[in-house]
Amino acid sequence: MASFGKGIPDQIKRLSVVVILVLAAFFIGRMLLIPRDFGRYDHFRASALFDVASQEVEFAGQDICTECHDDISSQKANGYHQGLSCETCHGPAAKHTESPDEVTPFKPSGREYCPICHAYLASRPTGFPMIIVESHNPMKACTVCHNPHDPKPPQIPRGCEACHAEIARTKAVSHHVYIPCTRCHQTPEEHKVNPRTYRPDKPKTREFCGACHAEGSTEAPEAIKIDISTHGGRYVCWQCHYPHLPEAR
Amino acid sequence: MHELYAILREITGYIYPNEVELHWGILIVVYPYITGLVAGAFILASLVKVFNVKEVQPTYRLSLLTALAFLIVAPMPLLAHLGHPERAYEIFLTPNRKSAMAMFGFVYAWYLMAVLLLEIWFDYRGDLIRLSQKEHGLKKWLHRIILLFSTDTSEESLKFDKKAVKFITVLGIPSAFLLHGYVGFIFGSVKANPWWSSVLMPIVFLFSAIVSGIALLLLIYMVTTLMRWKPIDMKCLDKLASFLFYMMIIDFSLEALDFLHRIYESEESIKILSQLVSSKLFVSLVVIQLLLGMILPLVALAATKLFPIPDELRRHIYFISALLVEVGIFTTRWNVVIGGQLFSKSFRGLTAYKMTLLGIEGLLMAIVLLLLPFLILYLLTLIFPPWPEAYETPAEAEATT
Repeated sequence: MASFGKGIPDQIKRLSVVVILVLAAFFIGRMLLIPRDFGRYDHFRASALFDVASQEVEFAGQDICTECHDDISSQKANGYHQGLSCETCHGPAAKHTESPDEVTPFKPSGREYCPICHAYLASRPTGFPMIIVESHNPMKACTVCHNPHDPKPPQIPRGCEACHAEIARTKAVSHHVYIPCTRCHQTPEEHKVNPRTYRPDKPKTREFCGACHAEGSTEAPEAIKIDISTHGGRYVCWQCHYPHLPEAR
Repeated sequence: MHELYAILREITGYIYPNEVELHWGILIVVYPYITGLVAGAFILASLVKVFNVKEVQPTYRLSLLTALAFLIVAPMPLLAHLGHPERAYEIFLTPNRKSAMAMFGFVYAWYLMAVLLLEIWFDYRGDLIRLSQKEHGLKKWLHRIILLFSTDTSEESLKFDKKAVKFITVLGIPSAFLLHGYVGFIFGSVKANPWWSSVLMPIVFLFSAIVSGIALLLLIYMVTTLMRWKPIDMKCLDKLASFLFYMMIIDFSLEALDFLHRIYESEESIKILSQLVSSKLFVSLVVIQLLLGMILPLVALAATKLFPIPDELRRHIYFISALLVEVGIFTTRWNVVIGGQLFSKSFRGLTAYKMTLLGIEGLLMAIVLLLLPFLILYLLTLIFPPWPEAYETPAEAEATT
């Protein structure tokens, strides 16, 4: 027994003790520290679900707001912000519902909050109200002109570019620059006030573009002419060509 | 919210809402930079022991200590970025084998415990025993504990130490490759991101790591030698500069290969990537990484090889070149980490990175994390003196002066 480990160098023996201690600490640590319910459902502690469920609720949900602020709710219900929850702008309000007089919810002011949704950004859908903050009524707080609970533009937009700025800018550098929007889009006047209820239409026939582009057409002599009976099969022109920036030169 | 609005004004083109704000900031730039320095410093150390490059022997112990100092700091940017550092040990307890990121803890622990600490222990053992015999008080006990109370300085045991060091270094080379190759793998395997997704990524990371490690050791060797009022060993410095030069050529070729490959492939992302390089990354990629961090030092180092330049001037050229390389490699990490998040996955727009000064993920934190390894290195040199004069008897010291 005394000869056990005789050929093993002294360094290895000493280091082995450390390695054994580290491994023992690791395995004992694992035994003691891994929660019993770890891995019951997946790679997490099962009781974490209950921990999360027991967290204090911070948002009240918009139904409860209606109980006291029914005037604002009914105003909002018909406006453009009908899809937004009250707490989107006013922040978590559970505490306010418990003690309404002591806790006042956040109220956005100035002109830095609304642009988070309404500043110009190319990826927002066309027609979505966007502004260039620097040039849009500088220094005025948004709420001076707009009621956030029923945010109509304070005046009826004069032209299409007020809402369709990206298309307006694209068209400005295209061959169609001199064609007014309403030449191709029949637009009811009410579209300016209720844009989603009254929508403009799009050209439905090939002959519409053919008025300028068909062979033999005398209108717009500089426009490219095609044989409308064979070109493009049965497709309407704008299914292949983008009329706001037509690619053919 | 207001920060988000400030970034909105910097956006060009079309970008999805969840891409406006960058999630990986300056700390994730610091992390691969530091691990790269660890791997690079270790590879330099292995030159002495495995490849028998005798000229760089004066930097051997310094390389090991530098690797250790930086390795201690390597996980800190991650801990600061993720938050809740007190939960970090849990990745060891319940390892998630499906996650490459979760495996980092094990790669790290292997490298720290099975490679660096062991190699330092074996390499210093004989010298520390001799040192502890002359010491008193706390320092003696500290050394005795580190030595695990080993006192055997027989020729046989010292021979075994040498063998062990060589074996661990051989083991350490693939481990160092694993440590830094792993960091490149994390980025290279993000298949949705064309700026990152490349099989060359781990290899490019590795060679840039070696470049940064050698340059760092060159700087540390020069500064510490000057601080000790000792003459700089020009043979060692020339050899370091040579290795730096060769590694830079390999690194440069690999990066050029990656670049050419991307251009030749011309995938649908090429337009937005060239826009990225010519606008948002122009200064950090073209000016700093390529011109100042690669071409200028390459030309300067080539000049030292081609022309007979006096020692004094050569030292200056080496120092400035190494410094430029360090800045260049830092911007390499910046361009990968930040650059990869600046363009939209729609390939139609670019966003901006707003760095904060304060806070746990700010610039100040990054500076602290970059300086901390030097403080740790200083403390390590007190415990493990890397210089021969620390082990000389007074009579020997007198003879050398």
